[in-house]
Amino acid sequence: MDLSLLPQALVSGVLASGLYALVAVGLALAIGVIGIVNFAHGEFFMIGAFLAYQLFVSFGFDPLLSILFVAPVLFLIGAALYASTIRFVLKAPELNQMLLTFGIGIILQNLALMIWGGDPRSIGGVPYRAVGLQVGGVSVGLVPLGSFVISVLLVGGLYLVLARTPLGRAMRAVAQNRVGAGLVGLEVNRVYLVAFGLSALLAGIGGVMIAVIQSPTPTVGLAFTLKAFAIVVLAGLGNIRGIVSAAMVVALAESLVATMVPNGDALRNAVFFAIILGTLVYRSWRRA
Amino acid sequence: MRGRGLWLDLLAAALFVGLLAALPGILRGAYGQASVSYLALGIRAVGLAVLALSWDLVARTGQLSLAHAAFYGAGGYAAAVLLRLTDAPVWAGIPLAGVVAAALALALGGATLRLYGIYFAIGTLAFAEVLKTVVKSTPFAITGGSVGTNLPPLFRPQFVAGAMERWEVAYLRNQGYFLVYLGLLALAILVSVLVQRSRLRHAFTAVRTNEWVAGVMGVNPARTKLVAFVISSAIVGMLGAIEAHRFGSVNPDATFSVHTTVLALVTPIFGGLYTTVGPILAALVLSGVEETLKRTLSDGYLVAYGVVLVVSILFMPRGVMGLFRSLARRRRARAAVGAVAPGGRDA
Repeated sequence: MDLSLLPQALVSGVLASGLYALVAVGLALAIGVIGIVNFAHGEFFMIGAFLAYQLFVSFGFDPLLSILFVAPVLFLIGAALYASTIRFVLKAPELNQMLLTFGIGIILQNLALMIWGGDPRSIGGVPYRAVGLQVGGVSVGLVPLGSFVISVLLVGGLYLVLARTPLGRAMRAVAQNRVGAGLVGLEVNRVYLVAFGLSALLAGIGGVMIAVIQSPTPTVGLAFTLKAFAIVVLAGLGNIRGIVSAAMVVALAESLVATMVPNGDALRNAVFFAIILGTLVYRSWRRA
Repeated sequence: MRGRGLWLDLLAAALFVGLLAALPGILRGAYGQASVSYLALGIRAVGLAVLALSWDLVARTGQLSLAHAAFYGAGGYAAAVLLRLTDAPVWAGIPLAGVVAAALALALGGATLRLYGIYFAIGTLAFAEVLKTVVKSTPFAITGGSVGTNLPPLFRPQFVAGAMERWEVAYLRNQGYFLVYLGLLALAILVSVLVQRSRLRHAFTAVRTNEWVAGVMGVNPARTKLVAFVISSAIVGMLGAIEAHRFGSVNPDATFSVHTTVLALVTPIFGGLYTTVGPILAALVLSGVEETLKRTLSDGYLVAYGVVLVVSILFMPRGVMGLFRSLARRRRARAAVGAVAPGGRDA
């Protein structure tokens, strides 16, 4: 183990945690407010990435600019999916709910494969992609730093919305007691629709950032569904507040394993499984 | 009553399997050389039926398994590694695959099945994705690493000049595989029928409908779920090994592909969950559909499976079998109305 790599690993981990929190907080919103475990969540992320890619290739849109376009589109996609499918399984057995979202995920992923093929796509020509700062032997890329800042702003903004606005109060009320919220005059269905749209929107913006950071393929959605689940499970299903710290733990663990363990880069995914399984086993024993 | 139902089901299953066993000979007599590709399609359908029946077994306890690709791949790799490292007989890999898949299921299920269903689904999905990456990073000498490794075929029919035609070699090979697949299907049907016609059915249904009530009634939910999961995985593991022999190789991306999981769950849902006939029926239909789609759309033909899944959940959550049943009920209801009111229109 080479300890001189430690500062770099810590910095990379912290920077990655912003994006992870952004994606996971959307999933937590769907689970916490609507009670739907969305296996298609990562596909919203993937759509965001490929929309940004397509806008860049076709019209030369800067990814920062395309966020403004991707966000409303993803909100509409999420809302439309809720209105056309999710709405009908709210009271169905949990198995059916999970299968439905899994099916939606299959459709979205394979549509993307049909449109863009299976090769990695990158937004290569952005001028600031290769720019970075050197701070005492630790290099900080401008793009990861920027994505961290944007993510922090968005997640913070979501927390503010939840805490301070009528919409946020409605979401919290519906999450606590669907029937009660309906009785005091909230339109539960509309709150769900907005929550699901927001969930997709947050993931989609995350996707725009990954299109600049990496060169994603259409299967990136499944990978990020898994990452988001690791964070959500660690925070506790439906717990929105705990997402930020859980994302920090997950991102740091991934970064440390990838840089400090020999051949660790191949084990990145194993970190997520270890976190999910570890949390489950811990919960299982505590409950017993 | 229950006893007679069991024997009737077993008789029907034996007839069905017996009929299928005669299929290669019939096809050969009727179509000659074309029977080779018909048999290949038959193998596909039977394999899909095995996958579907085994997935349905876990679903009967109300659990969503997203790890069938993992057990399928683990089975294929168990056989491949055994034959790569030792001089074991070719067939030894198949039972070993069942044991390895069952052991993995026992470990994963033991850790996650005591929890709420959502966690199980998430845990299995993560398990499947990670097993793929772990196998990729294993040493080349053991598994072939990210490249994969080859397996010998189960059947090597020899061409005898003068005594047979060229295509008959391929026919004999496909016939052999078809019968092996059919043997595994017979096992899967047997398990499915036995569960459906024994006390286990009530245990499974109780756990699926309400775990807490099941516990009060004296059913151990965790153990019941684990039994279903382990048996199901053992069957899928053996299927993985047989398919690996037929394809001649394993590699991480193809052998652990999430496609296997998708097929495993879409088929029984389309046919009708918690039944034996539904998954088999759906396997016959979907394998035909798939063959056509694969030719027209190369990338992303799975989109059709996603559509079938979503449409089934929204419009016929009990599958094709459920449609049949509600149709039959309506007809019976109409007949009953006729019986109570004699001297109606016809009189």
